[in-house]
Amino acid sequence: MGMKYRRYLAGERIYGCSKCKTHLATIHSMISRAFNGQHGRAYLFDGVVNVIEGEPNDRQMTTGNHTVRDIFCVKCATVLGWKYDRAYEQSQQYKEGKYILERNLLVDVQ
Amino acid sequence: MRIPEPDNQSNLSSSYDFVPEAGPSCVTLDKASHSNGINKENGYSAPVSNGTTSNGSLTMGNGLAKHSSSITRVSLPGTTLYDDPYLDREEFVRLVIQSLRDVGYIESAATLEAESGYSLEAPEVSEFRQHILRGAWADAELLLVELGVTDTDALVDARFLIGKQKYLELLEARKTTAALQVLRNDLAPYSTTSDQEELHVLSSLMMCSDPQDLRRRASWDGASGISRRQLLDDLQHYIPSSTMIPQRRFSTLLTQSREYQRHRCLYHNSLVDPSSSSLFSDHTCDKESFPRITTTILEVHSDEVWNVAWSHDGTHLASASKDKTAIIWRIGLEAEPSSRDCIAEFILRDHPYPLGCLAWSLDDSILSTSADHLILLWNTKTGALMKTLENHAETVSALVWLPDGSGFMSGSLDRKIILWDMEGELRESWNDIAIRVTDAAVTPDVRRLVAVGMGYNPPPALGTLGRANVRDASPPIVSNGNGSAVGPRSPENRMIIYDLKTGQVELSVHMEGELTSVKISEDSRYALINHAPDEIHLWDLEEFRLARKFTGQRQGHHVIRSCFGGIDGNFVISGSEDRNVYVWHRDTGTLLEVLGGHGLGSVNSVAWNPRNKRMFASCSDDNTIRVWEAPVSAGELLRGFGISASEPEMFGKGKGKVKQPWAYHDGGF
Repeated sequence: MGMKYRRYLAGERIYGCSKCKTHLATIHSMISRAFNGQHGRAYLFDGVVNVIEGEPNDRQMTTGNHTVRDIFCVKCATVLGWKYDRAYEQSQQYKEGKYILERNLLVDVQ
Repeated sequence: MRIPEPDNQSNLSSSYDFVPEAGPSCVTLDKASHSNGINKENGYSAPVSNGTTSNGSLTMGNGLAKHSSSITRVSLPGTTLYDDPYLDREEFVRLVIQSLRDVGYIESAATLEAESGYSLEAPEVSEFRQHILRGAWADAELLLVELGVTDTDALVDARFLIGKQKYLELLEARKTTAALQVLRNDLAPYSTTSDQEELHVLSSLMMCSDPQDLRRRASWDGASGISRRQLLDDLQHYIPSSTMIPQRRFSTLLTQSREYQRHRCLYHNSLVDPSSSSLFSDHTCDKESFPRITTTILEVHSDEVWNVAWSHDGTHLASASKDKTAIIWRIGLEAEPSSRDCIAEFILRDHPYPLGCLAWSLDDSILSTSADHLILLWNTKTGALMKTLENHAETVSALVWLPDGSGFMSGSLDRKIILWDMEGELRESWNDIAIRVTDAAVTPDVRRLVAVGMGYNPPPALGTLGRANVRDASPPIVSNGNGSAVGPRSPENRMIIYDLKTGQVELSVHMEGELTSVKISEDSRYALINHAPDEIHLWDLEEFRLARKFTGQRQGHHVIRSCFGGIDGNFVISGSEDRNVYVWHRDTGTLLEVLGGHGLGSVNSVAWNPRNKRMFASCSDDNTIRVWEAPVSAGELLRGFGISASEPEMFGKGKGKVKQPWAYHDGGF
């Protein structure tokens, strides 16, 4: 809807899409590095920009049942990770509303 | 006011000089006995014989005697013209006398002086005027003090001016020794320190070989030209205006009133026609000649249309869309919208990404489009792709062809402004400027480049090294110095004005909201900037300050563009996120129109036709482009069909699915 420019981030370390270098998140909004995605290591972020969210799906993960949405880069539409909509385990609820970005699909951008 | 019946000896004298501006009438009044022949100059041909009282050629209709005794003085109470205390009768009468004299109605002027008792100017003033116009410099200088030039500085300046004219005239007449005398005695002692340079210039003029050269070098048009009159005008500054009324003062005042009426005319969109403007009634343009009605809807794009641009000759329109194509439309030139042909001439498809902006070259032979970080150059006659330029790393947000024909400029979110030549070869690249450019514009006088965008915060770890590359515009960044992790700050939006030749920053201004569009007025004086949320700023580029804000439209999420429009750039129009096109009067900020019609989504951009000042185009998220025109051109036709102007019927047209809002008839209706 309407034209928008991509967001640009500022900070000590900026992660971007490995394909098109679009800014995604800074190290400042990173919460944890201890995740695993389909491609290996993955990080949990508080806020992520320049992504489009897909439809919600229920998925069984090692930590339990979650409702997640896949997230895509706005420019090149590659799948970058997912966003947690809901966690059904009490202990996992801290993840709700946060984003996972796969380390292999990220690149340092400066 | 009736002139009292004159006596039989209504002999008109014509012995005074017929220089309308000179010759105080009080002189003629004193010469009571004139009985010369009545052949007046200036072609008043009717012979007046003795004894007749009326002289038909006089506009006043009555013969006039020059004897002061035959015109009775009319004395009136008070000093004002009407009841209004601001109009002083004496001033008014003197102005009328001056105007009458200027035109040539000397008799009437004299009568007015006699009747009212006011005289245009004291005799010294007219003498002074005569002296200057005749070149009697010494006499003129003597009179200066009497005229009220008492302040020593003013006296010195005035003497300098007179001395300069004398000097130049002597040089022109090749009397170099005399000129040298003047330089030594009159100019040098009277010049202040600031005039030293002028003094040097003047002395260098001695070297001129012939009068032609002298005139050219001094930008002076000679003793026989208007320079003496010009000198009079310049000296006017030093003499109080009540002593010597400025030349043509009435005309100046009337011009001011015309300007005022023109300024007050909110819908003014027509060329000023001298034959139609009258002193008897105020000038107003009515709404009917303002483009308010959609006359054509262009519906070929399959996704949101983000930008439109007219070719310089006003015959073609280019549109840029999210559907990764650009379309060049040909808008026919017929005045009647229904008989006009609007065809999608070329659909330019080679873009890998949605298009952001586009611009026509000066001769309309090349269209430059931008798709993300790519710039594509298209041949507009064949629709073929000429070149793809990949120098930018991020989205190209501004494309502007330089008005001097030297190429074009691209601005991008990668903090670079690149100047290209006409073939698309890189000429100059300004790297690492202080902002990520979201739009840029070049002043028509090719002096300046105004860019707006988001500020860039260099990574704190690099410290001073990071800042070395940045052009001097960004302010010292406050909390990064100590290297601690700083959270992502929202970018600092800025407008930066560059000198185009040198690349130096003239001004850098911090603005609060997102800046999405910048356009410059025809006179290179104002910049129009869309400022989220919900504001449009008008910046004065000469005085470097905010001149006006326009509000009413909505903007907060999207890139919305605006532009100047109308004759003299009298209007400001903008898109908006609430489906409407907004129109304001530029000089007063009054919201004139809110034009609805577009479908759901934002109206992203607007563009005024540079040739046809009564037409503009708008494009929107509803995939269409609308062409708007004045009801006058569309109205007749619409009324004939009984279709109201605001709700056009849709009829298919066949060619490229261009929809026109009424039935396509060929011929009469």
